[in-house]
Amino acid sequence: MKISIRPDHRAMAEALRRRVLEGPGETRPELRRASAERAAGGPATEAPFDDLARQVGEGAHSVTDAQVASVLTAMGSEKATFEIIAAAALGAGLLRWDQAMKVFDEVTNASA
Amino acid sequence: MRLPEIERGDGFANRLLIRFISMASGMRLPDAARVAFYHKNFFGVPMGRWTQAAMRGPSPWSVAERELMACMVAKWNACAFCVGAHAAVAAKQMQRAAVDEAISDFRTASISGRLKSTLAFLEIMTLHPKDMKAEHAKAVLNAGVSADALTDAIAVGTLFSIVTRYADALDFAMPTPEEFELAASMLLKRGYV
Repeated sequence: MKISIRPDHRAMAEALRRRVLEGPGETRPELRRASAERAAGGPATEAPFDDLARQVGEGAHSVTDAQVASVLTAMGSEKATFEIIAAAALGAGLLRWDQAMKVFDEVTNASA
Repeated sequence: MRLPEIERGDGFANRLLIRFISMASGMRLPDAARVAFYHKNFFGVPMGRWTQAAMRGPSPWSVAERELMACMVAKWNACAFCVGAHAAVAAKQMQRAAVDEAISDFRTASISGRLKSTLAFLEIMTLHPKDMKAEHAKAVLNAGVSADALTDAIAVGTLFSIVTRYADALDFAMPTPEEFELAASMLLKRGYV
């Protein structure tokens, strides 16, 4: 008999959040967390990361070569630049996860 | 691709792997796969694990339905690469006409009522996350979507809110329609890990 184990999305979301925003990398975790929060509509962070993180959050289709190049110049590393982009993308995504699961929990806990 | 190191691969092994897969498949390996190989332990591994589970794991949704959800999240984020990629995968297992109808207007497309109500929820989640209310979730459950199915859809919506953003921030190269078709077959066969 084949038993299918459902994905534990909450655990995997948390694992991704912890790894990218708290784990080791070429960038400081505080900078990654600030970029994630900025992309989720949070407070401005230091330049040039602020501009890129804000744009990734608001509309990544409008990110420019210059915005990415500014971060690359500041960091001097493509991996570090990628970490900022990944953190910002993650921040915007997890905002949506958190908001959606909050309303999901309200409804499903109410009917439990 | 704005970061050349992602394009060519980090490390000798990844560079060889990218070249080998490109040669074997007869097409330029898409940037989405190049990112999956890059700085793997930082991002690709945990992201790939969740994406594989959400898109290919046990779910009340079919693979095609989840790929269509990904395509729609991409549309709402104006990510042309991801619309092309996931429309092509969805169309491998459902009518292409239904995929195109959904992209044009999911509310009138030839898809199930359950999927329409879920896409309505994902649209709000994608475009106006801070306006989400319990009534939005309730409407989906009242349409006959199970709690498990809604959670799975939320996971897909989250993941593609992330993917579309790094795809566009990195300026993924746009494959041709033929390359999207080939890549779709590979993605269907191999998944996201």
